[in-house]
Amino acid sequence: MPLFGKSQKSPTEVVKALKEALTALERGDKKSDKAQEDVSKNLLLIKNMLYGNSESEPQTDIVVAQVAQEFYNNNLLYSLICNLNKIDFEGKKDVAQVFNNILRRQIGTRSPTVEYICTKPEILFTLVCGYELQEIALNCGSMLRECARYEALAKILLNSEDFFNFFRYVEVSTFDIASDAFSTFKELLTRHKIICSEFLEQNYEKVFKHYQRLLNSENYVTRRQSLKLLGELLLDRHNFTVMTRYISNPDNLKLMMNMLKEKSRNIQFEAFHVFKVFVANPNKPKPILDILLRNQEKLVDFLSRFHTDRSEDEQFNDEKAYLIKQIKELKPFLSSSTVTGTSVASPANINTFSTSYRSIDNVNDKPIIFD
Amino acid sequence: MLYETSSKYYVTCSVMNNCFFDKGKVLLARHKTSRTLVAIKHFNLEEFTQEQYDLIMEEIFFMRQLKHPNILPCLTSYVINFDLYVVSPLMGFTSCHDLISAHFQDGLSEIIISFFLRDVLRALDYIHSKGYIHRSVKARHILVHADGHACLSGFRYMYSLPKCGSLNKVHHFPLHTSHNLNWFSPELLEQNIEGYDEKSDIYSVGVTACELANGIVPFADTSTTSMLTEKVRGVIPQLIDCTTWFLHDDDQYSKDEICYSNENIENENQKIISRKFSNSFHAFVELCCCRNISIRPLPKQLLNHSFFKPIRRIGINLQELLQPAVPYTETNTTELHEDVAVINDLSYDFDDINIYPEEWDF
Repeated sequence: MPLFGKSQKSPTEVVKALKEALTALERGDKKSDKAQEDVSKNLLLIKNMLYGNSESEPQTDIVVAQVAQEFYNNNLLYSLICNLNKIDFEGKKDVAQVFNNILRRQIGTRSPTVEYICTKPEILFTLVCGYELQEIALNCGSMLRECARYEALAKILLNSEDFFNFFRYVEVSTFDIASDAFSTFKELLTRHKIICSEFLEQNYEKVFKHYQRLLNSENYVTRRQSLKLLGELLLDRHNFTVMTRYISNPDNLKLMMNMLKEKSRNIQFEAFHVFKVFVANPNKPKPILDILLRNQEKLVDFLSRFHTDRSEDEQFNDEKAYLIKQIKELKPFLSSSTVTGTSVASPANINTFSTSYRSIDNVNDKPIIFD
Repeated sequence: MLYETSSKYYVTCSVMNNCFFDKGKVLLARHKTSRTLVAIKHFNLEEFTQEQYDLIMEEIFFMRQLKHPNILPCLTSYVINFDLYVVSPLMGFTSCHDLISAHFQDGLSEIIISFFLRDVLRALDYIHSKGYIHRSVKARHILVHADGHACLSGFRYMYSLPKCGSLNKVHHFPLHTSHNLNWFSPELLEQNIEGYDEKSDIYSVGVTACELANGIVPFADTSTTSMLTEKVRGVIPQLIDCTTWFLHDDDQYSKDEICYSNENIENENQKIISRKFSNSFHAFVELCCCRNISIRPLPKQLLNHSFFKPIRRIGINLQELLQPAVPYTETNTTELHEDVAVINDLSYDFDDINIYPEEWDF
């Protein structure tokens, strides 16, 4: 207990005060200004308990446990998120920080908050809907991405109807909100490999019907980012079944061939990384083979002129040379051989790409270079 | 006020500046709905690598999370074709860097600097209290409103301090910052096990103070390696005036230059040699650039420094002091009757559009 200054309130008292202020704010009567102030004040107190500040260290585990327990008992996570729009600017950010801290809480290998949210999935769905409101979209985004780190929560999100709202959110006209939604969307589709691939397999039709819209979006950023993500998804070996299905559909091939010729060089380049999978497939279905054969000469001609200035990108040039060779050697479909042959495509060729697929996310640890 | 996400709602007036390694443009525009002037940063994303794209995105996110009278806000951002537009309020006097290169090659006057740095320190106090380090305080990132108040910008290098009590140190070296090295603190440059914290920004404030006063950033003509060793040795950047001139053996103002035949340069130098900055200004810089981090104060403490006392005198008119610089305002801005997009069409490089002419045969 400090000798001077205010004596500290106990977590129970602060959480109680927060709950009362929040109820007043929810009611939205004349006193709502005062209520808003009280909410922010108590949020700050709780934040400082959890994180500490420049004057104090964060509190012991016992205090953190008490705060968390009080939050569960009062269903406070949910009411904070429901009323997020009414909380002031700094308070909104504090909600996100408090939420993320309580979420990360661990007892041994257990994550009690994750277990708690599993029983209250409405918390997750309310967060998703947060993307509809400009003022809280980014705060909800930061909480959602923290949730997506936990497999159990990611699974609930993926399997909810609300997940398909993301196809709309990633395309909204405000750039920062769309980008934030895209990061969350990507996190959900890539973080937990097993549940992601299960989700994609089980919902293949619906997901790719929606995904098609993103690839044809009028918004350049949406198009570029979703095409890049598509490449990453297909080349992830966990998604082998999904990939096989995707590269068997001639419409997808046509789309990629058209995207190879888009005005944007970045889109051409990303499309290349999807297109290569169609060509590398050792067991091409007849419709795919037919398209490639019909365009055999054009493709060879096109690819040999494709992004020739990328002479330093060795991997790209190797892959391009490989594709040209494959296309040159294409032979018309022999129906008898495939009937007797194995029906599962050999992943060997395709996987040569997936292991070395350039990952831009890993560049953050560059050494310093003085120039 | 709602700022729309379409170029229809903004009328371009002129191109003010370049930004982001000259890959972006800053446009002066009028927001039609509110009839106010705004600054719109325009980037052609097609020319950007994924890393650069991420940097810009990061900057917008940070701007969206900060709200303070001395921090440049982002009003909205939107994409049209390949272009990203980021709308901010107009800062009529543009950046301190621009002010210096246009009108104050020898540096700004002390009183102006104290106003600007007070605003910067207020912004830093807020940023630090939210758990961030700015890492890019420099004249280029101090923008001045037509009414004279300054705003901090340049948030793409900002970094979160780990949130765990009072012992906060980070080790991360900012990416793509070769052009910021002169402003970095020795502890940041050193990259040792002890790391650095928000006081690194205070060192940059000290360097920026010299930059504003001298008209040129300290170590400008020093090689990167010797800049690093000097900083680590504890050499403190200095304000150049009659008290420090002869201590100064910098290449920039070397004694040979005084004997240089060009009369202009001699006159310029004469002006610099004869001026005198106050003792508290010298002390302020020394304190900011103190090698010992425990002595270096936090923004709140620095705001009480005697350097800021003259600000309290009433009747100081910053706009007058900044003459001959004239801010962009309602009265001197004329509209070009074009959408924001129209001007930008000129900037497209059509030469690399060599779309394969043949149609695929499906």
